[in-house]
Amino acid sequence: MMPPKHILGTFDEALSSVRNNVLMMAGLAERTLDRAVKGLLQRDDNLCTTAIADDEEIDQLEKQIDKEGVDVLLRFQPVASDLRRVVAAMKLSPNIERIADQATNIARRARKLNRHPPLPEVEIIVPIQAHAMAMFKDAIDAFVREDVDLGRAVVARDKDLDHMNKMANRKLTDRMAQDPKQLRGYLNLIFISRCLERVGDHATNIAEDAVYAAAAEDIRHQALVQASNG
Amino acid sequence: MVSLLEMPQTLPQQVPRQNDRPVEETESAEIMIDVRDLDFAYAGNKVLHNVSLDIPPKAVTAFIGPSGCGKTTLLRCINRMNDLIEGARITRGTIHLGGIDINAPQVDVVDLRRRVGMVFQKSNPFPKSIYENISYGLRIAGVNKRSRIDEAVEKSLRGAALWDEVKDRLDEGALGLSGGQQQRLCIARALAVEPDVVLMDEPCSALDPIATAKIEELIHELKRQYTIVIVTHNMQQAGRVSDHTGFFYLGKLIEFGPTTKIFTNPSERRTEDYITGRFG
Repeated sequence: MMPPKHILGTFDEALSSVRNNVLMMAGLAERTLDRAVKGLLQRDDNLCTTAIADDEEIDQLEKQIDKEGVDVLLRFQPVASDLRRVVAAMKLSPNIERIADQATNIARRARKLNRHPPLPEVEIIVPIQAHAMAMFKDAIDAFVREDVDLGRAVVARDKDLDHMNKMANRKLTDRMAQDPKQLRGYLNLIFISRCLERVGDHATNIAEDAVYAAAAEDIRHQALVQASNG
Repeated sequence: MVSLLEMPQTLPQQVPRQNDRPVEETESAEIMIDVRDLDFAYAGNKVLHNVSLDIPPKAVTAFIGPSGCGKTTLLRCINRMNDLIEGARITRGTIHLGGIDINAPQVDVVDLRRRVGMVFQKSNPFPKSIYENISYGLRIAGVNKRSRIDEAVEKSLRGAALWDEVKDRLDEGALGLSGGQQQRLCIARALAVEPDVVLMDEPCSALDPIATAKIEELIHELKRQYTIVIVTHNMQQAGRVSDHTGFFYLGKLIEFGPTTKIFTNPSERRTEDYITGRFG
């Protein structure tokens, strides 16, 4: 639930601008990731090239969000939920930028794969991409709607993605042994799977920051804390 | 008459007194000023409603809230400055300082105000020399030995971070000092009689940012030795200088807790709305 309007309308405007830029950046990163994976599955080099080119705009947005965030902190010295929203927005943007970087890496690997005959094992990537993308979208949703439960749920889903990546690695490594001629191709697929696993890690970071923004609760590294306590 | 000069220097939990809280709680908490169920009225018009809070020793406690919320009234209750206003009185509740009920009939109010110093919004040095401003309170308290007064003047001015700026002109008029220096002189004057508590009522509201920073730095130093209670309208100042913050609204204490908690995740919606500027 968003709070009532601030007495200073300029503050609401400045905070909205930061949040809108985060959303725009997230939308672009989602599109880039989608294009990169489609470029791989549809063997479309143009989509891969577009995905790589999109990264520049996302990088610029990251800088813009940092600038606006610092400006809000300097001009308004926000506190309480306002402070958490600004801090969270500034922490979200590097994670979104890293997701876009992973999309770029996937697009580059896809272009290499597209130069060779298709590998049926490329289908292994489909569920991993779907899971990573859903985590990313839900993490952004949790931030926008200040939905603590959704944020926590995203964090919990990262284990499944890690497992999927591990299984894909095992399967592709086996295939390498069986068909050493396609070694480069399988290595590229392993790399792409790892990129998607990283997307999940960044989505987890975003979800954790969304929970902090909404409820002032730091849920990072809880597994480590629980392990050391018990 | 009980002299507050002879009050126990130990913490109040070691002083047996009645209250309505569980024994375990009072024994575990460090409390310098204990405000309990306080109602206060000006000529029958109630301005504080059932205020209870524990102010810890050697820490800075800030009172924040919109104008007219009762924060200054409560501050002035702590050294009975409201006694000077006709028709103003506590109608219910107690304030204990170091375990002593400060409104008990046998309490010497002059001793109380020595033990609980006060600094006001606008600096109010006496139209006398810098030296005399500090020594005045000591002379009133019966200290006449020149060497002891000299020592106290230097100690107080050093304590208020003013010594280096005025040590060569102690005989000059205090009114010739800048606004920030005058305010620090007033703090030094309060420190001269070695209080336990220093109350500050918007001490920086008339000062420029540099003078404000010097006072805030001073507050940070002073809390090693003194319990400080500050009223401020400046949220950032409350966030910078205080360890605990109380938010007042319409004469009620809405929320009281660690400053970090109040300014990052207040429990009450009204606190959140006020400190983020969404009030009314």
